[in-house]
Amino acid sequence: MSTSTTPPSPTPRPAVADEAAHGRAIAAAPRGEPQSPLESSSRRTRWLVTLLIVLAMLWTLVPLAWMLLSSFKNRVDVTASTPQVFFTPTLDNYRNLFRGPNNLAPYILHSVLAAGISALLAVFLGALAGYGLARTQMRGKRHLAFWIISTRMAPIAAIVVPLFLIFRGLGLIDSIPGLVLAYLTFNLPFAIWLMSAFFAEVPSSLEESALVSGCSRWQAFYLVILPLTKSGLVTTFILCLVFAWNDYAFAVVFSGPNSQTLPIAASQLVTQTGIDWGQLTAIGTIVVVPMMLAGLAVRRWLVTGLTLGAVTGE
Amino acid sequence: MDRYPPQPSRRDVLRGALAAGASAALGAGLVSCGSRSDVARTADAGPWRQFQGATLNLISENTAPTAAIAAHTKPFTDLTGIEVRIVTLELSALVQRVALDLASGRAQYQVIYADPYQVLAPYQRGLVDLRSLQADPNLPDLPGGVGDFIPVQMDAAGRFADPEPFYALPYDAPTMIWQYRRDLFEKYHDRMAGDLGFDPTPGGDRTWEEYFRIARWFNENAASDVRYGTGHQARQHDSLMNDFSNVLWSYGGTYFDNGREVGRLGTRDPGPCRLDSDAAIAGAEFYNRLLSIADPASKTWDWDGVGAAFRAGRLAMCPNWHEFAASNETALPGRVGYAVLPRGPVATANMYGGTGVGISGNTLPHERGAAWLFLVWATSPETQLANLRSEAGGGTPTRTSVYEMPEVRAAERRPSPMPNMLTAAAVRQAWQPDRIGLRPKIPMWNECNTAIFTQLSRMLSGAESPRETMRSIKSRVDRIVARGWVA
Amino acid sequence: MAHAAQSSPVARGSAEQRITARKEPRIGFEGKMMSPGLVLLAALSIVPFLALIAMSFSRVRLLGGVRLDVAGLTNWARFFTDADMWMSWLRTVVYFVLTVGLEMVLGVGIALCLFRVLRGRNILLSLLLLPMFAAPSIVGLLGRYLTDSTFGLYAWVLRSLGYTGDILGSPVSAFAAVVLMDVWEWTPLIALITLAGLSSVPQSVREAAAVDGAGGWMTLRYILFPAISNVLLVALLIRSMDAIRYFDIIWVTTNGGPADATKIVPVRLYETAFRFFDLGYAAAIGLAMLVFSILIARTFVRLLDVRGLTR
Repeated sequence: MSTSTTPPSPTPRPAVADEAAHGRAIAAAPRGEPQSPLESSSRRTRWLVTLLIVLAMLWTLVPLAWMLLSSFKNRVDVTASTPQVFFTPTLDNYRNLFRGPNNLAPYILHSVLAAGISALLAVFLGALAGYGLARTQMRGKRHLAFWIISTRMAPIAAIVVPLFLIFRGLGLIDSIPGLVLAYLTFNLPFAIWLMSAFFAEVPSSLEESALVSGCSRWQAFYLVILPLTKSGLVTTFILCLVFAWNDYAFAVVFSGPNSQTLPIAASQLVTQTGIDWGQLTAIGTIVVVPMMLAGLAVRRWLVTGLTLGAVTGE
Repeated sequence: MDRYPPQPSRRDVLRGALAAGASAALGAGLVSCGSRSDVARTADAGPWRQFQGATLNLISENTAPTAAIAAHTKPFTDLTGIEVRIVTLELSALVQRVALDLASGRAQYQVIYADPYQVLAPYQRGLVDLRSLQADPNLPDLPGGVGDFIPVQMDAAGRFADPEPFYALPYDAPTMIWQYRRDLFEKYHDRMAGDLGFDPTPGGDRTWEEYFRIARWFNENAASDVRYGTGHQARQHDSLMNDFSNVLWSYGGTYFDNGREVGRLGTRDPGPCRLDSDAAIAGAEFYNRLLSIADPASKTWDWDGVGAAFRAGRLAMCPNWHEFAASNETALPGRVGYAVLPRGPVATANMYGGTGVGISGNTLPHERGAAWLFLVWATSPETQLANLRSEAGGGTPTRTSVYEMPEVRAAERRPSPMPNMLTAAAVRQAWQPDRIGLRPKIPMWNECNTAIFTQLSRMLSGAESPRETMRSIKSRVDRIVARGWVA
Repeated sequence: MAHAAQSSPVARGSAEQRITARKEPRIGFEGKMMSPGLVLLAALSIVPFLALIAMSFSRVRLLGGVRLDVAGLTNWARFFTDADMWMSWLRTVVYFVLTVGLEMVLGVGIALCLFRVLRGRNILLSLLLLPMFAAPSIVGLLGRYLTDSTFGLYAWVLRSLGYTGDILGSPVSAFAAVVLMDVWEWTPLIALITLAGLSSVPQSVREAAAVDGAGGWMTLRYILFPAISNVLLVALLIRSMDAIRYFDIIWVTTNGGPADATKIVPVRLYETAFRFFDLGYAAAIGLAMLVFSILIARTFVRLLDVRGLTR
């Protein structure tokens, strides 16, 4: 049997790629018809809505803004008993973080490596397994799916001890591979689960037609289905990255002088001679900002992943 | 092309997964039996350079002396050719890593910051008896011998249960003393003396009852200078037990029979808890009363918190670790005074919180030698003197000889290049055997401690009376001790 | 969960044809795709799980290599008779209900408000989402900074409003504070999911309701809520799986205090394992927690099943 080189072009628009546009279309629709009955609300309701949104914004943003602001304060301003909004900004806190024996640079490198590699691996294995899970019709599929996600529910403090001993035996303590593997314990089930939601959005008919035109199953997956779930792959990667980057409980056990991560650095600033809040807010900013940017970059697709397709699959 | 080649059944895959899991576990076991390489020894390089090229890992609590040592390991590397990497962690994270490291049968960390209560007592069997290294003719001797360490500290931080072997060398010596605003005590001295009917100057002759009245006087009369008379480290934390113990002992209470011995050398079986005694309950009642007039934020502070509040000028006085003097001096130069803690109706006590450095029992012979070099260097008089001068903080010496150096003596008075020495007069008194406060050194202390500070925290929140609190602590501690300790 | 993610009916039909074409159910291509991930997952989870079960019936010795001394049912007996432990469970349930409940209420509220906003919705949503990407340990430290009675911004605000107590100092306010920190971090997730659910309710349905003369509340009650209830269930499921697993915030802020007011079970577990090194007892607590999470997750999955969402 000869294999045609070009995969068939998918005729029906896949749901995943459609999701964002779909959501936007609905969101935008009322704008086209002013005073659609539902949206036509009394002036009072509108005021109430505005007020509530302003409150929600304040509640959400004030702590973050305050952290950012405080990271530019000097030692006196940062612990002033009347909160200082106007002050002479200084970069000292950031500068000090990269100076001296506890230079932050290696911590950042370790965090980037451990979280990045772990997220990549999780996406790779998660895409394979997620596809299998989405398409398989095996008996007990539900139990398998539940087992996968239940591994993520295991309490950290309980599983850390056996894992530590295994890792020590394999020489993985205080190494980036060790951290990568440790992060996989919670990222892998999550990635499988998420990717399977994204794959389930893609109609099987696409593979069918790919198979008919001579693709192998692997080619159908690799050449047809995978490109359609690019957004899913990116979303999964980013979410895994966020979880691994933010981890403290595993890092505190599995890391060592060669593999300390950023959240560990933050906890080390809580010292006996007092917490240096200026530096701590600076580290906090360094830890939090990259993940927020990454998270926002995939915001449009987060919903599909996080609702397991329950929204868009209707 | 065959689209459906023979496939393994589901059961095969399941079996495969189990087998993989099992072999991973087995593999772990096998690898751990594999070889571990010791560091190389150059026999003819002399005692200090024989292990050049080695790397040592030190795990330590993030304390001032560690900060000072971490900033100044270069002289050691120059002297020995040994690289030192220091991991500093908060105490509970440190204990967690040390215990796992000891359990794994290897020594990722050769040098261990061995808190006497959280590491030495529970894991003494995992630490090297340092006598073997001291006796080794190929290794350098301790300058001045063991005898140069302040004796009570040597016992408290270095030994466990048995008076002969020692597992750690005293490395820092924080001790709780009375820290007060000298400027305010001078300003209000006469008014206070008139109102209260006694001389309020802090010192060992004051009683806790007088401390209480001074604090209340500040609350009522000095609001323009400070918000509260006294503040305490009364968060649900180790610090609460420390703060309370000073009062407890002063009132004649003890945690166990033979409190002094259980504190100094320690024991594996301390017998029944004695917190239900009338003296202990009287102490608890006083402490409860004291905290009711203290800064209400005391219940959120550990030593850092109360230290920061004191430096921020919020408190007129507080009991806190003497090593905070250096940072006090930066924030309130010349305005802070130090004295031993007040006495109670029965005794007087200043909680000691010192720590030693020890060597992991999982080290290989040469690693052990290299680690010994570091111990000798890190506790040597020269290093302790350098730490006193360090800008990275620095602790206080644990050697008698260092306190006798003329420059250290001179630094006890302002202006002082070694601000921690401003407390020397107070701590020298505090370290007298009859004044030093030593908590029970028992392997299960960590759990007992948690029961103690948790119930104390309940007492301070008003949920239980002092009497009920002492009884509930006793019953919990008895249960914990009865379970015994395996390690 | 993945049942929720199953393929659409059309897809399933064709897949079924393929399956019925084969006589024996075999692992097939899907199985091969799954095996690398599942084998690794099995290695990382089954071994620790079995170890956990073994440990819960033992006293664990640490020094000189880990050894298990058989202890029979001691750990379990202690688990069921430990009064402090029962208090922790009670607090955990309260904590769980309060955090997840508040997050649901506020999240749905915010989503409904945003749903009415037409211009700038995306920017508002982006800003509101920020907290969910922050590291919990940093959130805890930030919470400590904001509520510090000497220099905390929120403490200062409360003081000017006449609140004189100390936020993390008394049991009730400390409990409220850690709940609110968790709510701060995770409400955005619920808002995001709910908003997506609302957006997917067909315009025609809403118009029909309006034509029938349904007011705002009626529309909400009879049209919108039923339409998004499945999505809300999924959101609940996601949150409840993590709600008691993560305790970084409590660990960093109150460490379980004051007066044990914030000592929920995961904190007690952590302390038993890594401060007291009573690993046998910790294993028993850990297993109980695992059962608890699985029961909750199962309940929500059942509900989803009943509603036919899993198809």
